[in-house]
Amino acid sequence: MTIEPEMLMAYADGELDPLNAKRVERAIADDPALAQQVERHRALRKRISDSFAPIADEPIPDQLSALLKNNVVDLPAPRRRPILTRWREAAALAACLVLGLVVGLKVPHGPVSSGAGGLYASGSLAAALNDQVGGADGAVKVAVSFRDKQGSYCRVFSSSATDGIACRDASGWALRRTQQGSTTQRSDYAQAGSPDPDLMAAAQDMMAGEPLDAKAEEAARSAGWR
Amino acid sequence: MAAFENEMLALLPRLRRFARALARDAADADDLCQMTVEKALLARGSWQPGTRLDSWMYRIMRNAWIDTGRARGRASETFVDAEAGSGMGSDGGAEARVALGEVEAAMRRLPDEQREAVALVLVEGLAYKEAAEVLDIPIGTLTSRLVRGRQALMLDLGEAA
Repeated sequence: MTIEPEMLMAYADGELDPLNAKRVERAIADDPALAQQVERHRALRKRISDSFAPIADEPIPDQLSALLKNNVVDLPAPRRRPILTRWREAAALAACLVLGLVVGLKVPHGPVSSGAGGLYASGSLAAALNDQVGGADGAVKVAVSFRDKQGSYCRVFSSSATDGIACRDASGWALRRTQQGSTTQRSDYAQAGSPDPDLMAAAQDMMAGEPLDAKAEEAARSAGWR
Repeated sequence: MAAFENEMLALLPRLRRFARALARDAADADDLCQMTVEKALLARGSWQPGTRLDSWMYRIMRNAWIDTGRARGRASETFVDAEAGSGMGSDGGAEARVALGEVEAAMRRLPDEQREAVALVLVEGLAYKEAAEVLDIPIGTLTSRLVRGRQALMLDLGEAA
């Protein structure tokens, strides 16, 4: 009877069911070389495990634990999904209609204007995207800033008219994603700007590397986001 | 601090150990940890409460390692080989290699597929089934990678256990 190397290894690791374990034990009894193999597997396992074990006992670098202890990017708790998702689709559609109206009417100083590459932020929204510090309260709130995979700066924002993600290109802040403004549904104005989980998930997909910290954001802002 | 952050904090020692088994050196491993925690915070909406947070975090780390680590790992292999070929004269390189330890150095010589299997089962102590789930591969694929990785390590480490 031949014992596959995989089965012998699984036996050494205690991963075999009793029936197969018995088979291996019988084979081992007839063949000292197999018994030696099992010992080598166990010895290797111990050696690998022992040599990495001390790393788990090292103190955690402050920089790492700080990410969790003062989680600057204040993310909302996960919500129950199924029903909300449908509402959100409806809300997104409604937001598109609102945007269409705003653009169609060419309201001066509205939050959105139509440019060469699609929709762009204008008026107070553009001003906030240009100047506002991430996390600061205001009519528009910027939750996170990051660089996308093409290297453009992008910012996740929320406001009464619309929430979304805008990325800076040659013409201005191109709106990559929009949905109905979160603040319209809430009475407490100061609560504006807890980013929607879907929006944050979309931002994560677009993101190259990590979100900008305060320092990197300030540097990007003073360089005009280019 | 919320419960989610607390649980993640408790997992950090294990995540650092896993990162060290995957990455090419300690600095790279710290970068990988940082990236993993940030990705996990952003993706927390996709974690299903009641499922294992450790498996979820291992998966995020392993995917982040693939996204960034592999390409850099290949580039650095050529560099290290060239350096090793030029003899033991260069202090920095020789020192770094000694500090890494025999086992870590042998791990780094494994193909990525075998290294991640060895890291999850032998370093982190996951059951075969759990490791296969983290890597999203059938259990038979996991065991064949694991057995090849172990055979290579036995040869490399001179079986002197």
